[in-house]
Amino acid sequence: MFPPVRLDPAALMGEVAAFQRKLAAGIDNLKHQSEPEYANTPREAVYREDKLTLWHMKGQGKPTAKTPTLIVYALVNTVWMTDLQEDRSLVRSLLEQGEDIYLLDWGYPDGADRWLTLDDYINGYLDRCVDAVRKAAGVDAVNLLGICQGGTFSLCYAAIHGAKVKNLITMVTPVDFQTPDNMLSSWARDMNVDLFVDTMGNIPAELLNWVYLTLKPIRLNQQKYVGLVDILDNPRELQNFLRMERWIFDSPDQAGEAFREFIKAFYQQNQLVKGEVVIGGKPVDLGLITQPVLNIFAEQDHLVPPDASRALGRHVGTSDYTQLAFKGGHIGIYVSGRAQREVPPAIHQWLSTRN
Amino acid sequence: MADQASDVLKDYQAMAQQSWDAWTRYLQQQAASVASPYSVPPAHAGEDLLARSMAALKGYGDWLQGAVGSGLGQSPTDWQQPLQQLFASLGGQPFAHAFAAIDSEAAHSFTQLWQSWLQANQSGLAGFKFDLEHLAAFGYTRERQLQQQKLAAAMQEYLDWAGKYQALVQRANSEGFERLQARLAELADSTRQIESLKALYDLWVDGAEDAYAQIALSEEFRHVYGEMVNAQGRLRQLQQQQLEALCRELGMPTRSEVSSLGKRVHELRREMRDREAAQAPDEIAALRAEVALLKRQLAGTPAAAAKATAKKAAPRSSKREHEKEAVVRRVKPAASAAARKTLVRGATRTRK
Repeated sequence: MFPPVRLDPAALMGEVAAFQRKLAAGIDNLKHQSEPEYANTPREAVYREDKLTLWHMKGQGKPTAKTPTLIVYALVNTVWMTDLQEDRSLVRSLLEQGEDIYLLDWGYPDGADRWLTLDDYINGYLDRCVDAVRKAAGVDAVNLLGICQGGTFSLCYAAIHGAKVKNLITMVTPVDFQTPDNMLSSWARDMNVDLFVDTMGNIPAELLNWVYLTLKPIRLNQQKYVGLVDILDNPRELQNFLRMERWIFDSPDQAGEAFREFIKAFYQQNQLVKGEVVIGGKPVDLGLITQPVLNIFAEQDHLVPPDASRALGRHVGTSDYTQLAFKGGHIGIYVSGRAQREVPPAIHQWLSTRN
Repeated sequence: MADQASDVLKDYQAMAQQSWDAWTRYLQQQAASVASPYSVPPAHAGEDLLARSMAALKGYGDWLQGAVGSGLGQSPTDWQQPLQQLFASLGGQPFAHAFAAIDSEAAHSFTQLWQSWLQANQSGLAGFKFDLEHLAAFGYTRERQLQQQKLAAAMQEYLDWAGKYQALVQRANSEGFERLQARLAELADSTRQIESLKALYDLWVDGAEDAYAQIALSEEFRHVYGEMVNAQGRLRQLQQQQLEALCRELGMPTRSEVSSLGKRVHELRREMRDREAAQAPDEIAALRAEVALLKRQLAGTPAAAAKATAKKAAPRSSKREHEKEAVVRRVKPAASAAARKTLVRGATRTRK
């Protein structure tokens, strides 16, 4: 039996001194950092409306895929997570494999967007973007790749406008919003969301960021920055870290009405798995989704627990359903080294046998 | 030996102080350069940002400094007491450090709303006390007294729930240390040892996060969290009512008027889109009618008449055969698709 703590006083002093030295030296490196850029894969705007932009992403060569794929991101944070940096870009990897990729960039809602509803987002904006992609590519139906809340939107869309969707891919998408390990759902359950939206109007991004950070307060607010000290002397790693910080905190406010509807119907009443969601008078029945579905989720996801995503297999109507469990977290599924090796090839392989 | 250790500690403390001073200067420059013209109050904005940015690293730096003086490592067997002292030296508030680091204007709504509100309304609230709700309202200012009483009650209610929330967070803090001790006890049965302060810190973070997660997922936390948010909403609602009354007196547009206008514009846009959508089928119907007319016209030509004769001569069974084939086509994809329903883990796909 050994004592569990074996700290040599000299080594301890050395460790503390090294930390302080790194910290002091790191200031100079921070001073000379420019604002980190995203990957900025070449793109062309093919449709604009209010705050949103539909981008057609451009690869080195012409796409070989016959059916274009529209990436639908969540309303929280920005779609640039999928094109974060040159060597960590889901978009680039898919383009390199011949996919034809479109991105829906929701933009930054302001006071004028306070009354936008889920109907406006799903049967309005998203539908018009799908039409724009269909027109641009000359096809009847597109592939949808929905991410997180964007995956939930894509499911709703496919259930209502099935004829326009050829294949459906969902990534880290909540379906059952009330699994026991869903902390966000638990916190939202007793909230008076009417009072919240009536008094806040649009929901400030900073407030949502605060909520997300309090899901793991020590890890996300202290331990992460303690780790930063170790890479202060590594310009490349530091740029990567700062780029991620930029993405995390560069987030849009939420349109008040859409937020109210989403929290009530999905988080508080779990209507999606009960088949009770109605958007713009149109019922959302997951059983009506008969297109091939690829459902990808992260095993260590603290925002969308794996079971919240796995539930899709029990409710979706298709007989061609594939599930892919990724060893990582909600963000790691896009930016980790493992993700680059595993996720885009899996998506491409799945699509190539169905396009 | 003791003098030597004391000198090293002094040197370290001097170096740490220099390091923090340098960071303080750096962050103050940053804060000054990014300060928003709308920040309130501008005189303290830099200090506030500085405090937030520094909280995480400062918390860890303080902990390291505490470790140096705690006696940890001086006796290989007696590590438990120094460890306890080290974590107690944080004031039992490591979670508070973490929360302080994310305080912001928006997060004020959860944690410091009442303080900023009080500061903003100091002149109007001279003599304002939380026990106002116990007084009967009367006289010319009766209505305003009632409003203030409601506001005071709402503020007190919010503070009560915020206090309960903080108590639960604090519980996670103490349970986190208990979990650290339990994890260290588990290590005692293995050959693995903690050989650096960073490793000890990481182990503590794991324990603290586990304790927090358990509490944060509890029914009690859900209730307290919801009530805190709701109490804050009621307080905000009363504040807004007072502000709106003031705006009306000054002839300024109010938030609810602007919202109302926004809602009407939005409804008009929806109506317009619905009309456009309703017109689209009419257009398609008109095109269909035109195609039908053209078909009828074509049917009158000699070539069309010959085609029609040939179609009549075809055997009757062919239609049935065609229907049968269609049924088979409908069934086949479903059967083959069922076989394709797969579950994949990692990059390897296994077929069921």
